[in-house]
Amino acid sequence: MALQTIQRDLVTPEEEVKFQKFISPPKDNPDTPDRLKPDIEFYRKLMVGVDLNLPSRLPDGTDKVKMMVIADDAPKNRLPEQFPSPLIRVRQGQIVHVHADGGQDGHTIHFHGIEPTPMNDGVGKDSFEIGSYTYQWQPKHSGTYFYHCHKNTTLHVELGMYGPLIVDPPEGPGYVTGYNLPGHLIRYDVEAFWAADEIDTRWHDLQHNAFLTHSGHDPNDPSTFTSDGILNDFRPNVFVISGAVRANDTTPITDSRVAVKAKVGQTILMRVVNAGYTIQQFSFGLDADVIAMDGRPLGVPPTGKYSAPFRLSAGTPFRLTSAQRWELIMRPTRTGTFPASVDYFDWVTGKKLATARSQITVA
Amino acid sequence: MKRRDVLKLGMVGLAAVSFKSIGCSGGSYYVGQDISLNITEALFEMVDRKPVYMWAFQDPNQPDPMKAGPRVPGPVISVIEEEDIDLTITNTLDENHGFRIPSAPGRPDVVDFGTLAPGETKTIYFRAPSAGTYMYFDPLNSPVNRVLGLHGVMVVMPNNPLNRVPYSHPTANVQALFDDLGTTAEFPGHAWEPSRSRIWNLHSIDPRWNAKAQAGTPIDSGQFQNGFLPRYFTINGKSGFFSSHDMDTALEGHVGEPMLVRIVNSGMATHSTHLHANHFFVLAVNSIVQGNVFMVDTYPVRPLDRVDWMVPFERPPDIPVHPNNPGQFLRIDAAQELALSFGGVRQSPLDYPMHCHMEMSQTAAGGNYPLGMVTHFTFTGDVDGVPFPHQG
Ligand SMILES: [Cu+2]
Ligand SMILES: [Cu+2]
Repeated sequence: MALQTIQRDLVTPEEEVKFQKFISPPKDNPDTPDRLKPDIEFYRKLMVGVDLNLPSRLPDGTDKVKMMVIADDAPKNRLPEQFPSPLIRVRQGQIVHVHADGGQDGHTIHFHGIEPTPMNDGVGKDSFEIGSYTYQWQPKHSGTYFYHCHKNTTLHVELGMYGPLIVDPPEGPGYVTGYNLPGHLIRYDVEAFWAADEIDTRWHDLQHNAFLTHSGHDPNDPSTFTSDGILNDFRPNVFVISGAVRANDTTPITDSRVAVKAKVGQTILMRVVNAGYTIQQFSFGLDADVIAMDGRPLGVPPTGKYSAPFRLSAGTPFRLTSAQRWELIMRPTRTGTFPASVDYFDWVTGKKLATARSQITVA
Repeated sequence: MKRRDVLKLGMVGLAAVSFKSIGCSGGSYYVGQDISLNITEALFEMVDRKPVYMWAFQDPNQPDPMKAGPRVPGPVISVIEEEDIDLTITNTLDENHGFRIPSAPGRPDVVDFGTLAPGETKTIYFRAPSAGTYMYFDPLNSPVNRVLGLHGVMVVMPNNPLNRVPYSHPTANVQALFDDLGTTAEFPGHAWEPSRSRIWNLHSIDPRWNAKAQAGTPIDSGQFQNGFLPRYFTINGKSGFFSSHDMDTALEGHVGEPMLVRIVNSGMATHSTHLHANHFFVLAVNSIVQGNVFMVDTYPVRPLDRVDWMVPFERPPDIPVHPNNPGQFLRIDAAQELALSFGGVRQSPLDYPMHCHMEMSQTAAGGNYPLGMVTHFTFTGDVDGVPFPHQG
């Protein structure tokens, strides 16, 4: 008996405009609607090239990787181009404006975990891709976030278009919202932000528009608009934490963006994000209290009313998948050098791919 | 409570027993105690209309011809806790297959049919387990038979419809959350209604292995696991535009209309499901109702995981509140945006995505972003029931 074929849904003529926008969002330069006066402003330029130097040559002789980042674009005191992209740091309740330049190609910025209107959410198919635009939002909850391009996201985030985003409580840096009666504020002395990531250097030879669909063709004849590629096949060969490349599985990263230095009696706030596409297993050699996830403090009403912070004893591993963020508080009680590491596991086979090590030095 | 009594309550209008409205795209709903499924085969067009051979479940008693064909995922089995079920499985194919429904980790299976030889029919009686989200699948040559198409979802509803919580033994924190929805300042609007439910069956497909099955070539499960390179990513069997606009998959509602989402991963990849516009509460993982109920924007779903979310449908919290809008209505705070359109598509209603953040899953055939594992999360109106202007 002949096999039955179950057809894909067909795109009706009424749906065609939505379909074309879905696969190929328009580029536009609108004024920010419902605009308010900002309390704080940032400037960002999408897709600026930066070389990432490797501690040793890859088998093919490569000693650097071309990254594409979101660069600071401030009219004065502009920060150098860097990978990851520069920190955006604001306070809870501020009206935030991010003036973004998408250049010729059209990009977007999604402030991951921030929940504004669709035009300020940076998803092209639900709004537009930017030539230039001012993103507007007002963070209601303090915590750990990150921002990234949301066009051809699979490739653009891999190329390096992401950076850390911190929303401080109104008291500002040095304080974090966490379960602590009566006011649920925890004061910290040392802050670290680990953005763990992996790089598949093959992808960095691709054009940023590689394998995108193109609009204007018959939605029911995909051969007229699809481009097949390799973006389902992620084989990372370079492993980083906050832009610092690990040399091998055993040598600790001593880069100051990663290695933590503190004194006995101090409080360390560790912000951790999986900024890659593997399953990442973190381990810290000090007892740690997990006080928040994804910008929502545990045990703190109203959003944390149904949860509670919990203790991870020293060396207890925990796993994060892409874009998950945890905040941990550590209070070292003795001097020493304590290990801190990330193991990277393949998202399909579950096999361990690499380990990046660093340390927490307590004086 | 007996099924008959539950259904009677339904007649008098208690929404909690509206089984027909349990969202799913399996397309078949079982409210009778006698359930039959055939194990069969078909070609399924992927999002780029490339046909892929799959093993599939089919409901031989489905009267609606639109739903009567082979389905991947299989039809949703919807039952009531402690209900006595007679389940009949027929293997119409010419190799061995199986059927199993696991329970919580470390607990005995809900049901396991062992091996069904080609042409064999078996009926097994079982009692519906505690309320929650389950996956059924063919466990033979694991994970091959499951991944090649033989999987689906079983939803178990509590047998007390007056308690508007989807579990019979909620933890104190889950109960408190459901008590608060629609009654506190944090969650203005409505309590959760069982009709406000969705199922997301996440799946990943590497057609090279399906082609082997079609050719009748034996598949070694070890080689399969080491050599699996997913090429298509689906939610309820659809991808990209089609999963985004599927009424049984997309989340839609007014501010203040919370929605339960039951997620299962029948595929090979670990997914990192991320919702824009709202953080969600993680209610249950693998049949364990959570004591520590996290509110997050991203949560992992490993192969075989079952994860229940409560999406509060709160006003997206980081939209600035404008002066002179004490009701915080979006039709006021987003008035200008709601009147705009881009690419011929209006900004009203307010559309956001849910997608897997392991971004390879956003592709089809290695490119074609975003024709992968994505759906829509749409706000159509304000908390006071007023729809947004300019929709269309
Ligand atoms: Cu981009
Ligand atoms: Cu993101």
